[in-house]
Order: sequence, then C-alpha cells, then structure tokens
Amino acid sequence: MTIRALWIISQEKGENVSIRFSRRFSTVEHRAKSLAGSSYVAVPEESTVLQLLLTELGLSDPDKAYVALRDDCLHRPRSPALELRVDGPGKGILWPMLAISQGPLILACLPLVDVPPEPRPPLASLLSVSQGLTLLAGLQTFLLGSGSKPDGEGLVSRLAMLPSVLLQVCPLGTPLDVPLLGPPATPTLPASAGNQKQPAWKTGLHRGRAVVNVALTETVRSMQYGNRSRQDLWDVFGTVTCKCEVEGVLPNVMVTLSLPPNGSPLQDILVHPCVTSLDSSILTASSVDNCDGSAFSGPYKFPFSPPLEPFRLCSYTSQVPVPPILGSYQLREEENQVHVSVTLKLHESVKNSFEYCEAHLPFFNRDQMGVAEVKVSYGQLDVSKEKNLLVWVLGQKFPKSLEVTMEGKISFSGPTKGPADPLCTGLTAYIKLYFKVPDMTLSGCCVDQHSVQVYSSAKPRIATSRELTSKDYFIWNSTGTAPVASGQTMM
Amino acid sequence: MSVFVQCPPKFVAFRCHLLLALTSVLICTSCVSGRSRGSQDFLDLLLEIVQDTSDLHSDGTLRSVCATACDCLRELEACCPGLLSQRLELLAGRRQLESSRLHQPFAALHTLALRNAVYQLTQEKGAGAEHLKALLGGITSVAWEADQDSGLMNNKDSAILASLILGPMGVVPTLQTGPDCKELRSVLSSLLEESYLLTPLCQAALLHRLTEVVAMVPGIPPAIFRAQLLRLLGTSEACLLHSTLLMKCAFTDSLFSAEDEAFMLKRLVVLSQHPRLSTHEKLFYLDCILHFPENRPISSGDETLPVLLTPRLASALAPTVFNDSATLLSRFNLLCLVHLEEGEEAEEGQGLEYLHDHLTALLHIVENGGSREIVVTFFRAAFLFLFYFNHVERYSTSLTEQLCKLYLHHTNLAPHLINLADQTQDRLPESDWAVGLLTAVQRVITSITQLNPKDLKWHLKMLVRVAEEGEIPQTSTLSFLSRVITPSFSSLCESGDWRQGNGLLAVCRRLLLHPSLDSLLIPLADILQHLARCYRDTDIQDHARLYYTLLTTLSREKLAGVMKQGATNGERQVKKRSLSSLMSEGEGLTSLLTIHQTERAIFRLTEAQSEPRQESKEGDFDENKVEKCPDEANAALEAYRAQFNDPSFASELTLKYQLAHIDSHDSRFDQLFSIRLHFSLTDDHYEKLQDISVPCLFREKPSPTVKLRLKPRRPYPTTLHASAIVTTQDGLSWHTAVPDVHVAFEQTFMLLPSPPSWGEGGRLSVFEGLWEDICSENGESAISLFCCQLKEAALNALVETHFLPYLVSDPSNKEEFKLLLFLPPQCHILLKISSKEDAVHFSIATDNWLLLPHIGSYLLTITASEEDPPS
Repeated sequence: MTIRALWIISQEKGENVSIRFSRRFSTVEHRAKSLAGSSYVAVPEESTVLQLLLTELGLSDPDKAYVALRDDCLHRPRSPALELRVDGPGKGILWPMLAISQGPLILACLPLVDVPPEPRPPLASLLSVSQGLTLLAGLQTFLLGSGSKPDGEGLVSRLAMLPSVLLQVCPLGTPLDVPLLGPPATPTLPASAGNQKQPAWKTGLHRGRAVVNVALTETVRSMQYGNRSRQDLWDVFGTVTCKCEVEGVLPNVMVTLSLPPNGSPLQDILVHPCVTSLDSSILTASSVDNCDGSAFSGPYKFPFSPPLEPFRLCSYTSQVPVPPILGSYQLREEENQVHVSVTLKLHESVKNSFEYCEAHLPFFNRDQMGVAEVKVSYGQLDVSKEKNLLVWVLGQKFPKSLEVTMEGKISFSGPTKGPADPLCTGLTAYIKLYFKVPDMTLSGCCVDQHSVQVYSSAKPRIATSRELTSKDYFIWNSTGTAPVASGQTMM
Repeated sequence: MSVFVQCPPKFVAFRCHLLLALTSVLICTSCVSGRSRGSQDFLDLLLEIVQDTSDLHSDGTLRSVCATACDCLRELEACCPGLLSQRLELLAGRRQLESSRLHQPFAALHTLALRNAVYQLTQEKGAGAEHLKALLGGITSVAWEADQDSGLMNNKDSAILASLILGPMGVVPTLQTGPDCKELRSVLSSLLEESYLLTPLCQAALLHRLTEVVAMVPGIPPAIFRAQLLRLLGTSEACLLHSTLLMKCAFTDSLFSAEDEAFMLKRLVVLSQHPRLSTHEKLFYLDCILHFPENRPISSGDETLPVLLTPRLASALAPTVFNDSATLLSRFNLLCLVHLEEGEEAEEGQGLEYLHDHLTALLHIVENGGSREIVVTFFRAAFLFLFYFNHVERYSTSLTEQLCKLYLHHTNLAPHLINLADQTQDRLPESDWAVGLLTAVQRVITSITQLNPKDLKWHLKMLVRVAEEGEIPQTSTLSFLSRVITPSFSSLCESGDWRQGNGLLAVCRRLLLHPSLDSLLIPLADILQHLARCYRDTDIQDHARLYYTLLTTLSREKLAGVMKQGATNGERQVKKRSLSSLMSEGEGLTSLLTIHQTERAIFRLTEAQSEPRQESKEGDFDENKVEKCPDEANAALEAYRAQFNDPSFASELTLKYQLAHIDSHDSRFDQLFSIRLHFSLTDDHYEKLQDISVPCLFREKPSPTVKLRLKPRRPYPTTLHASAIVTTQDGLSWHTAVPDVHVAFEQTFMLLPSPPSWGEGGRLSVFEGLWEDICSENGESAISLFCCQLKEAALNALVETHFLPYLVSDPSNKEEFKLLLFLPPQCHILLKISSKEDAVHFSIATDNWLLLPHIGSYLLTITASEEDPPS
C-alpha cells in the first residue's frame, strides 16, 4: 500500500482549525501521475485541502444553518473514503481521501489508486484503503494513546516525534508498520540459538521471569422497554487481553477459553494476528445466524506467539438467556410534576458482589427540578438539581430479595431550563445503569489458570482475571414511546 | 553519493536521509526510468548496502541504514518495475538468511520484484517455464537479456504499475509454464510460511502481491494459500481480511467453495456491526458487502447486493437512531437496496415499514430540535427513501404530510426542503413527488392565520420555489401575499424592511413568469400597486412600480421574454448573490444590466482591398472648372502649400476594414447588434481614435466595412488595440476583445492633395519644386539612395503594382519614374527610379528624415518580392 499524502489536523467542532502535521510523498506522486494519466488530479495546497475536508466532514461554517455545498441532501459523504471536489485550475475529484476523527484530531491520508481510475473502482478493490485505515488508526493510537482523553502536552511531544517515527515506518509513502507506542525498543541481539526469525512485530526480546497475564472482560448492553409489544434486547461481548513476558524469539503460548456445560457458544470471534492457527469450528458460530444447539461450544484454543506489549488476543459476542438486571420504569405526568416508579431486579445467576452499581435517571427538556420526594427501598439517592439528574447508588450488593424499588414525585418548577435532548421528550425517558461485577462473566466463559500453556523452559507465573461491566444499559419508561434500537425486531 | 560514502557510519539518521533524498530526486527527475549513469551507480550502492552483513552481529547501527536501503530499492522497483528482476536470487537469499526483524523489508522488496518480473515475462512472446526458472535462479542467458531490454522499453505504459486484481471481469496476463514450476512454488511457499512473522500491513501487501503472481501463473494452484485462510478469516485486522477478499476476487471458486462464500459474507455482516471494531472499519466492511466478490456474479455494476444477502441476514444492519450519521446513512442505503424488491411487490413487507418508521423517528428528533448534523442526516435519509421508494404512495404521501408539519414548526428548514424538492425533481423526473410536496407546503403556508414575522422570510422563500412550478395554481399564494401586506395581518408595509420587501418582490417576479399569469393579473397588479404606494422603502416601491408597469403594459410574450432572459441562463445555478443584485436574484435583470465578458474574440478587422486614398472632401471634382495650375514649379509648390493653412486639411487617413466573424462556432454570437468598437493606441504617433458604431453583423451575410479615420502626428506604422461591446439576439450585452489592428507603413501613403483641378502637370510641378526644396535645405529633410538588382520588366511590374497611382512623370517614359507620395499630416516622399548599368537606383527625397528607415525597409520588402517572383 502506498499513500500520496498525510495530514494531521486539530479542531474544536469546526473552529480553531489548524494543520498540525502534513507530509507528501514526491515519488508516490510521480507514480500517481503515470497511473492516472489524463484523470490525474494533483493534491492542492494545504489550506485548500483543509477547507474541502471540513466541508466534506460537515464541519465547515459551523455558524451557518445551511450551506449548499456541505448540506446537499443528494450528496452522501462516503465515510471513511471521502471525495474532495477540487476547483480551480487543477479541477477534479480527489478520491479516496481517508479521514478518521477522534476528539480534537482529524487524521487523513490519500492512498494511491493502483487500478484504472475510470470508471471509479469500488473501494473494496483497493487494498490501500484498508491499509490506510490501519495506518491512520495506528497513528491515532500513537498520538492520543489508547485512552480517548487526549492530553495536550503529550500530543505536542508526540507530534514532534512524528517526523522521525515516519522515517522509520513510512519513509517513502509505503509503510510496513504502524508507529509503535512507547519508547523505541532498544535493538536486541538476535538469539544465537537456531535460525528462528524474529517476528517483525516484536520489537525486542524479554529477559527474566516468565509472566503471563490473561484478563477476560465482558460487557453487557441492554435496551429494556417493559412493553409486551416490544422485545427487550441485550447482548454481551467479551475481550481477552493478554500481557505475556516470555523468553525466546518465538515462544509458543496457548490460552484456552471454556464454557460451562450448558453455555451458549461464543460467536463472532475475532483474533489477534499473532494467533498462529485456528480451528474452523471456532469461527462457525455467528450472531447473524440461526443458533443451533449442536454448535461447537468449546473449549476454544488459541495458540499464539505473543508480542511484547499487551494485546487483545480475541474478542467474541455471546447470547445469554437473561439480562443480569431486569428493570421496569414508569413515569406518569401529573400537572407540573412526574410520578416515578422503578423496580430493579438482579438475576439470581449473577454474583451479588459489585464493584459499583448506580442507576441514573436524567430528565430532559424540562424546567429545573424543584422538589423531589422520592423514596428508595435500598441504597442512597443523590439529587442533582442543576443537571436534572437522580443518581441512585446501590453500592456493592443488592438486598437478599435481589429486588430494589424507587417511588416518588418530582416537580419541575425551577427558574431555568434543564438540559435538552432531542430524543427524550415528554414521556420518552430512560434509566441508565452503570455497574461492574468482578470475577464473573455472563456467558460463563472463563480462562482456567491451568489451561494456559507456555512452552518454555522456565515455569511461568500465570494470572487470570475476569469481570463484567455494563455499557449502554437502558431501561426505558414503559408509559412513553421508546426509540427502536435494533433491526432484529423487524423479522 | 560521495557524501554518503564519506559519511561516518555512526551518523545513521543522516545516512538514511541521504538515501531517501537521492531516491526521491532520481525518481522524480525520471533518471531511474531513463537508466541514467547516476541511477545505476546509486542502485549499485544500495545493493552493496543490503548485501553487507558484516555489521549485523555487532551493534546493529547498520541495520536501520540497511532497512532504509530496502525501502529505497522497493520504491525504485515500484516506480520502475523490472529494475531488480535480475536480482531475485540475491534478494531471496538475503531474506532467508536474515533472522532479525530486517527480514520484513527484504520480504516486501522480494515479493514486489518477483511480481514485476513475472509480469514482465507474461509480456514476452514465448516466455515459459525455462525463463521463469532462469529468473528465479539468477541465471541470465545473453539472449534473454536482450529481450529484457526490449521488454523494459515496452513497459513505459502504466499497466505494470496497476493492481492486477480487477474482479471477474478483469483480464490477467498469464504465463504458460505447464504444471512444472517447482522453483516458483518453493519460493511462494517459503514466503507464505513466514508471512505470519510480518506486521499486518506488510503481510497484507505480501499476500496481495503473491495473489497477483499466482493469478498470472496458471501452473500454480491457488490452493497454495489454503493453509493461511482460516487464520486470515478470523483476524481482527481489516487489511488482512481485505487481502483475503481480494484473493477471493482473483480466484473465485478455484479457491473458495459456495460454502466458503456464504461464510465470508456472513463474516462481513458480523464485522460491519461488531461492537469491538471502530466505526471506520465497520463502514469499510459495509462498503465491502455492496461490492462483495461473488463467485458467480449476476450483474456487474456499482453497488449491487450479493445474492446471498437475505433480508434476514441484513436485518442485523438495520439503522437505529443511536448510530452516527455516516453509519446511519450507509446502513439505511443498504437496507433500502435489500428491500427494494419488496417495495415493488403489492404487499409491502415489514422491512419497508421499518425503514419508514426509522425515518419518522429521525424526523421526530429533528422536530425536537436535533443538531444540525441530525437535520442534514434526516434530509439525506429522506432523499434515499424517496429515491428508492417514491412509487410506494402510502409512504411518500405520509412523508409529505410529515414534512409539512415539520416545516410549520421549523420554518428555518426551508432551504433543506427546497433542496430536497430540487433534488428529487432532478433525480426522479418521472415522479411528481416534489410538486406534491410544494403544493402541500403552499397550502400550509397560505392557510396560516397567525403570522410570526420571523417566519415570513422562509415562507416567501418557499413560495418563490412553489411559483417555479407551472402546474401549481398560484391563487392562494396571491391571497396570502395580499393578506401579508394588509396592516391588520402584519405590520410589514409599515416596517419598510428592505429584505422582507425583496422577499415579497421575489415571489411577485416569479409569478410574472407563471403560465397562469392571465388569471393572476388583477390580484398581482393590486399587490404590486399596493407595494408601490404603501411600502415604506423607496427602493421596494420603485421595483414594485417597475414590475407593475411591466405587468400592465407588456404583452405576455414580451413580459416572459424580459423576465426569462438570464433566468434560463442561471436559474438555480446562480447561487452567488451580492447585496446589490439581491433585487433581481437570478431573474434576468442582473443579466440584462451587466455586461458579460466573452471568453475569446468573436470577430476581427481585416484590411479591405482598396484604391489609393485621397482626401475625399473635395471629391466633387468638376472637369469644367479646370483651374490653371501655375507652370513654374516654385509657384505651384507655394500654391500647394497654401492649402495647409487650414490645419484640418488632408490631416486624416481613412483606412477601410472588413468586420468579420472569426471561425469559432458559437451560435449565440451568430447575430450581433449595435456593435461599438473602441480603439486604443499603443504609441503617440496618432491622435486618439473615435469609437465606431456598426449596426449589425450576421455570420451569413456580407461583412460590413468599417472606416477607420486615423489622424497621424507622425505617419509611422502602428498597432491599435481594439475591443467591442455588442448585443446578442437574446438581449445580453457582451464585452469582447478584438484582435489587434496593425497599420503598415504603406497604408499611410496618400495621393498628393493638390487641388483637384490641377491634373497631372500640376503634380509634376509640385514634385520638381519639392525636390529642389529638399535638396537645397537641410533641417528635417534628407536625400538617400536605394539600389537593387531588378530586370526592366520586373521594375515595370513593381511600379505598376505598388506605385502607379503616385506616378507623376509620364507613364510611357520608362527611363525614369517620378513618384510623389503624400503622408499626412504633411510629409512627402519623392522617388526617382531609374535603371543604371549595374542596378536600379531609387533616389529618395523626403522632408522628414525620420521616415528613411521605414522607406528603406518598405523598398526592401517590395523589391525582394519582385526579385524572386513565385514560380
């Protein structure tokens, strides 16, 4: 894969836009000219690229409600491969401009189109597109870290390192790797023993005691409507993260995931490229298929040779029969106040030992909260009048009955307006649950410490862990209309 | 390069930069493709670096230089394919021996060189297994090397640079080797075996290159990739999965069974919505579904759904309001395609219902004050829905109703609605949905009982658009307008808001063009009259009065003509508006009132064939009134000179030109009217010129003659810049450049302006008088001699063609010709031409010595043409 140019732009909602870094590759441009022939479109000046890119991303002229060029309903920006409509002497369409944005950064690159440009080839025929996306994602991780919160100074110093990093990974526009996080590894001597080759993705060799860490995290999402006509939805996805410190150029490790006897099979499994081989049965189960009972349900063996840094060994989804917490939420509007009634019930199969568990009840598009006469059967209640938010802190445990309730009236008579949200008007309202349960998974999937095999001379120290967290866990008010969250219901 | 050689090895970064710079320079200057000496030396240097393994076991500083050298070699090979085809064995060896991470750049370089070398072989006639073997073994036979060069020459075209995997329709060049190509097979196996050790980016590139190689060599079965497939299909890396898709595209059912195909498609659906992948990866996979490489594609074209993608499977990709805009629209588009057939059947399925509900959900968010992004997304989704399902009346009608309701509460969405109407009309010419929407909007606006002044601007904008539709009756619009201007309904007229007034006038202007104008005449006239009288802004009053006058005095056809001009030119395209032209927003008046600039000249002036020029003031010359010319030369001269007491006497030069079209066919300019030609001088030898008017110029009719009256200060050759303003048949005014007009020296010659009654003799007398005068006095005057070789006949011909009118001596006297040329304002050139033994002598006398160089060059020109008569 080859890219013609690369840009890194910082912005705040279309304002304070500036190009922080850009690079063009002259030899690639030379190739682009001969490949495209008469349909060659030169890369315009930086400022022009910036303007066109912002228009295409819908970020230009943030203060204008309608701009024909930006908002035409006919034009559908085909993210992530945009087309820049260049005007003026070098008129033409610059395509495919790959752009990904996260937080304050927009990263963009223009891959070389190595098939005849007319008629426009499908995106899928250009390997450079997926490679470009990989490169941009790598750059993004390099610049912002894996966390989503960017830190200003870190960003500046990373940007300053970029020229020398690009010299390493992409000196002439054809990268063989993405920039690696952390300090550049000190070149290590190849192992004298044997002629085993060092993987290109392994920056060095580990010396010392072997330690293997396997962490299994499951996330549960849910949309509960409490409505007979609308099916409640929930899904679970899991990730196995490893950190392996094992000696050797190409050490072999095997991690095995196993399910309880009646567990439903793991689906949609994706593996890290360091996994050396896969059994075809591992890939067969998929969430878009009919589940049939005879499907392969483990054990799931993943042989691999680990890189030095922590990595995501595999991820999967799972269909569990019940949601961990079943809720019901009812709102009734009475004059200038609402009557609230909530029940939350923990399923008995779930370990009643939380790291934290909170229920948030936001009220949008109303005046600020006045009096809140709300009683809870268990836990504590925090009222944030400025934010029109009730926070119900359930703490570490549900009571023995595994059921908690909230009942009360809230009046909205404050002098100012509370927060607005276009989705949640009137009785369209939700409770959002935040919880984390250590040492359990919903699918029942686990990594047994003894099932981790490391084929090396020294006996390794092996640690495994697992946890369940919630994400987008909504319980909608059953007396109002709730938005549709999945097309599966249409079948 | 010498800097590099002399640079100490420890300056690693500097040495790397040097290599990169050299590579860039050599490639961009085409030195590499031209095989220049410098590029050969550089290639040798790079190869030397990559072969040097001495340092690798010490501190490894050479390693990054070596990696950079590999990058440089790869770029050279990429830009100039085949460059390294003779070095394959060397590269393979280096790659195999290298155990540090350096094996990766070597693998990348080796596969690229291998792919290019095999491609080259496919282009050679008669190349086969033997050649392939030789290539891989590094054995180069002399005969083949010669071939190689010619191959390179042919490869100037860019085909070799391009990817070979074009899908089932693409044709891949092949190399017939028979089943026996062990060497290649072992190279491929070795590369594939170690592909696991490469980074995903490099691995994907390698697989892609090897796919191309196997596609070109039918002797190698695609099954060679099979061992890698499971690992690749399970990967979380987009580029690795993508390279597998490209493999499927290249090998179809020779590597992938129908079952594999179904599995891959399912896998793509899973990946397009996998919670662990990033948005852009999911969007990319969505796109891949629309271009899924099927083993047996039914149709090829943009965005066709794979047969295996059932509505059931696709339901996993249904859009929801929780999606981001790009995902939402991509999914919406995909689902529309999936349910397209459903819509065509009488029984509409649940899928379509779902899409409509989704659109409604979006609309509610917009209604509740969704962000700008949501608004734009909603209108895009609405367009997609209409594009695919406008024929499903139940939904399209309900969408119209919902949009009207939305508009009432959010009038500032008017530009979006207009845009939606415009685009559906453009893209779906057979559908009348847009007209339906506009009619409904008109109904909604005109039945408003409580007018919010803030909304008025949007209402008027919408009504302008509604008035563009000839099919929509406009009576209700008019009654709305008349209500708006009544004080009981709104205080618009009293406020005198200029912009709102313009909005009103814009609707009126549109109505003037409406086909049902006849029935609208009276109410429209009333409104305009009211505006002209009562609106508290003079400008608006003036314009209202103008429209009123136009409406009441012009016939329908003329009115349409006046209003339509320009409207046809730039109806919707004219989006740029300055405040000053806001008045006539693309409605023709601006067009009519501005002067447009033509791109190139439309016509030119060419010199007309003409008789010698004479001051024609005293043209009414009467034979009977013969005045006796003074016999004596001096006396004649004096009488002649006395005429110049009148400063205007014989001071002008009239040149005739033909005005004619330049042969560029632009039918707009076939008929031109009121042409006004403007000339400007390039020097100060002449007085300023007056503009010239020409009534008309038609392409098909004889071209009119233009008389250019020049008043010389000094009769020198000159060039005039010219331009013109013309009116075309459609009433537009154009400014156009006219090619320069060159005035040659000989064009300034005139007959002697002697009194017309004098006759030949008189002029001869003046000649003699002047000659003496010039010979005797110095000052401005000068005499000179010009000689040339001319035969007698040639001389006679010369005099006849160029000087006959100026001849003052007896024409029968061939011994000596006397010529007298007058050049305004008051210069003379006198010539005595006589044949001497050796040459023809042109004795020259002039009263302005500054003319001598011009005379010289003129004589040179005309005598030269006589010397070498065209044979």
